[in-house]
Amino acid sequence: MTGSRAVSLTVMAAILIAGAIGIASAWSAPFGAPHPSTATSSLTGWIFAEQAAFYRSLSGFIRASKEDGAAMWELFGTSFVYGVFHAVGPGHGKAVISSYVVANEETWRRGVVLSFVSAAIQSVVAIIVVAIAAVLLGATAKAIGLTVHLVEIISYALVILIGLRLLYVKGRGFLIACRELTRRQAPELALAAAPAAIALSAATFQLSGQRPGALAMRGGQCQVDGCTAHVQGFHCHDGHDHHESAWGHAHGPEPAALAGAGGWQRGLAAVVAVGLRPCSGAIIVLIFALAQGLFWTGVGATLIMGLGTAATVAAIATVAVSGRGLASRIARTRAGLGMLGMRAIEVGAAALIVAFGILLLAGYMASEQLWMFTG
Amino acid sequence: MIKRTCCFCATFLLLLSVNRAQAHPHVWVTFHSEVLYAADDTMTGVRHAWTFDDMFSAYALQGTSHARKGQYTREELASLAQTNVDSLKEYDYFTYARADGKKPKFAEPVDYWLEYKNPSLILHFTLPLKAPAAAKAMQIEVYDPSIFVDFEFAKDKPVSLSGAPPQCLTTYALPHQPTAAEQAQLSQLDAVPLDRSSTYGETFANKILVKCP
Repeated sequence: MTGSRAVSLTVMAAILIAGAIGIASAWSAPFGAPHPSTATSSLTGWIFAEQAAFYRSLSGFIRASKEDGAAMWELFGTSFVYGVFHAVGPGHGKAVISSYVVANEETWRRGVVLSFVSAAIQSVVAIIVVAIAAVLLGATAKAIGLTVHLVEIISYALVILIGLRLLYVKGRGFLIACRELTRRQAPELALAAAPAAIALSAATFQLSGQRPGALAMRGGQCQVDGCTAHVQGFHCHDGHDHHESAWGHAHGPEPAALAGAGGWQRGLAAVVAVGLRPCSGAIIVLIFALAQGLFWTGVGATLIMGLGTAATVAAIATVAVSGRGLASRIARTRAGLGMLGMRAIEVGAAALIVAFGILLLAGYMASEQLWMFTG
Repeated sequence: MIKRTCCFCATFLLLLSVNRAQAHPHVWVTFHSEVLYAADDTMTGVRHAWTFDDMFSAYALQGTSHARKGQYTREELASLAQTNVDSLKEYDYFTYARADGKKPKFAEPVDYWLEYKNPSLILHFTLPLKAPAAAKAMQIEVYDPSIFVDFEFAKDKPVSLSGAPPQCLTTYALPHQPTAAEQAQLSQLDAVPLDRSSTYGETFANKILVKCP
């Protein structure tokens, strides 16, 4: 049983490695032969074909909605589906958000909210850029492309900063877990069996709901684990990161901590960083609608597109959160090493965010370059 | 437990695998290309006519001043055409030549202008080879490796020859869906990188072939 759990932990780590490989392949692309990436799998190919088809049908619906009010609803429906497909394809948004929720122990609810907020910001930024640049100033495509480029650079820089901050915090957590493991080994061999059993029951308890007894136990463990003993005070009630100690808190939602302003602010910083970068497709759709004299229809389509994107990103974030929750439950049943594994996963996820940010900034990923023709 | 873990991991891996270094196509180009030959039977360059999709055309035209509503003259579009060819330089004009296995380079474009045929913009430009090439088998590929731009041969007579020796024949090949073997190779690209001489990536390009036996 423990063997299979170790396997699961390894698989979780493999997910991170897969992300890293994605980055590695992004690196190799500009130097080696062009990456024929249309068809990583037939599914990917299908997604690409679908979203392209939806995107291309948008122009027809926008034109039609000039004469026919009903076409506007078709436009909105298509925009939503396009948004859903669009987000499944490449794009840094979901990668950063997923890594963020993994690294930062976010809850499911928060992952979903963050996804929606980030998509909303993305739509609104596109609308603001077009409203100011095109509608008010009559700027050229070149100027708009430059604006988007600038916003993009700021967005990527922020992603790197957030990643670095997480990396610092989680790196410390990892080192502390390391130290704890070595400290634990000698004198507590006899005790090790008991916490493991308790942790197991804590895992089941987490599924079945709150039980005061278990809660008390968790509190007790926390003490045992030396929250009070460690001067760093990092483990239990840091408040800042609400880190659980190795065997202490189950990683359940703690309403008080969740509602904390600090927590939301941190999350918001991440989604603003991600959402700042407007989607090229939205900009093009908006300007096309503007050229048809249907700017407001374009605004509606853009917002609904964002809703579709949010749905997909939220689903991905949910998978990430569930995966993490599962891994942490597994980790709790294995003394020392399991916790270390969890911390390693967090550090890995934080490192991924930094890597995403650097690659995006360096222009090796997700090159939705609006300025390809007009820069 | 294990089943669920695997389920999650599989889904997540799948989603991540989609997340590669690639962009969504946001520009669609249908193109005509003419392969140019000099009197001494050497190939001198390619003349392109690229028609942009209506949405991107509207985007590119944004802010371009024009005298008559819905119409743009070549002069009114001159500065945009200049911007287009200037920007395309960074992307090698999405045009790659191969002459009997060698890779001749293109010089900066000449004779470029934009034409507006409601609702589309058409970019005309000629790409001269730096040095004229004599080759039995000439291959010209048009594609965007990052897939931001989706290139597609025009429906009617997409490829033609100009001034070519009479024995020369031109054909063209569409990019195709990868076969099972290609897909296997694709999945190992991360572990086994392509070597310089590989022609693998071009499987996915729009290919123009000129054979002069």
